[in-house]
Amino acid sequence: MPLRSTATSWGAVTRLFHWGMLLLIIGGISVGLYMTDLPMSPQKLRVYALHKSVGLTLLGLAVLRLLWRLGERRPAAAPMPAWQERAASATHVLLYGLMFAIPLSGWLFNSAAGFPLQWFHLVNLPALVAADPALKVLARTAHGFGVLLLVVISAVHAAAALKHHFIDRDRTLRAMLPLPGDSK
Amino acid sequence: MTLPGRPSILLTVLGSCALAAAPAVAAPLFTAVPAQSSLGFVGTQQGEKFTGAIRDFDARIEYAPDDLATSKLEVAIRLKSMDTKSPDRDQALATADWFDFARFPTATFRTIAIRATPGGPVGDADLTIKGHTKRVAFPFAWKAAAGGATLDARLTLDRLDFGLGAGDWADESMVGRKVDVVVHLTLAATPAKPAKP
Ligand code: HEM
Ligand code: HEM
Repeated sequence: MPLRSTATSWGAVTRLFHWGMLLLIIGGISVGLYMTDLPMSPQKLRVYALHKSVGLTLLGLAVLRLLWRLGERRPAAAPMPAWQERAASATHVLLYGLMFAIPLSGWLFNSAAGFPLQWFHLVNLPALVAADPALKVLARTAHGFGVLLLVVISAVHAAAALKHHFIDRDRTLRAMLPLPGDSK
Repeated sequence: MTLPGRPSILLTVLGSCALAAAPAVAAPLFTAVPAQSSLGFVGTQQGEKFTGAIRDFDARIEYAPDDLATSKLEVAIRLKSMDTKSPDRDQALATADWFDFARFPTATFRTIAIRATPGGPVGDADLTIKGHTKRVAFPFAWKAAAGGATLDARLTLDRLDFGLGAGDWADESMVGRKVDVVVHLTLAATPAKPAKP
């Protein structure tokens, strides 16, 4: 499988970003949902620290993924009505937006709450803003709402991919699946 | 500003010994000017420094640089006024794992003796937090000023000496053990009042 995307298929790098980040997002959401109800304890802070580290990793990956994508060609879409093609592109733009907005709102919340921020016990990152109770509530809402939006849009996006695969029987999904030997 | 009552028996005894031994003139009395005094600390959480300020404390200072024998520093600190710029952290600090405000609302600091050293005066003081008393050396800088003086000091404490965050919280990668306390007092000379019990 070529590293770069071709006229018919997504390259290995794009596929790795796509499915690797999907796994990390599922992990981040699971940890995020689990951690908030834990009683206050060092364990809770450790789980929070893990969530934030994974989230920051996703933010870094989103930057790399966007840069990579901007230098890539887009494989030709399977034949489909123009509105579907536009909807697909709009969905991708939205998903990119959320890949940034969610971790950034988490970082903003963390800053406004006055929490420390450390990436896997290695580096400390600065607060984006000073502690601010009003902004804290806003950023917290944005973070949760962003995740909700991501789940809904991804579901539509994944449903569309499945529709292409099982109903239209085109190679939209195969062009993105991390399968070797399908790079034509 | 008043010191809360309840002096320990030990202190009463020490106090009466001091009275018996004291020369006729005692060191002059100063009290802290709240708006120009600060009691702060610097801790570490997950590798990141944070600062805390304690707003509500009374300092009763009897000090004369040339009469250390009758000089003493006493501070009563109402811990509830602690602010670390994170309501979540402040809430955690109030719980039994940390300061346990409900059972131990006040921390006290009292010098037992003050020595002159080449580097300046050093108090030997009993610091009591959360029911744990520890003898600490307290070097400080004293500067006379019009109508009073300023006192500046910095002191490093080990939070585990006072049972702060023992057990699960002892893990240093979450919360550092060393805490720097930074004291700046602006003191106003206070006319001697009749001694209070
Ligand atoms: C793409 C990355 C991220 C995802 C998918 C994600 C997901 C989530 C989810 C699902 C929750 C629980 C929401 C709820 O209970 O309503 C949550 C909470 C939280 N997230 Fe994230 N998050 C991400 C990145 C980050 C980052 C980078 C930070 C910090 C720098 C962060 C900080 C937090 C915090 C502090 C909470 C807890 C809020 C609370 O205690 O109420 N998140 N996140
Ligand atoms: C099970 C879930 C998912 C499936 C089955 C899936 C499937 C696909 C497929 C088949 C494509 C190629 C579409 C085309 O060629 O037009 C694609 C592209 C894309 N997907 Fe997903 N996807 C899923 C989840 C996600 C999630 C959670 C995100 C966002 C975080 C995402 C973001 C994207 C983006 C941005 C593209 C455009 C290509 C790129 O720039 O990477 N996908 N997806």
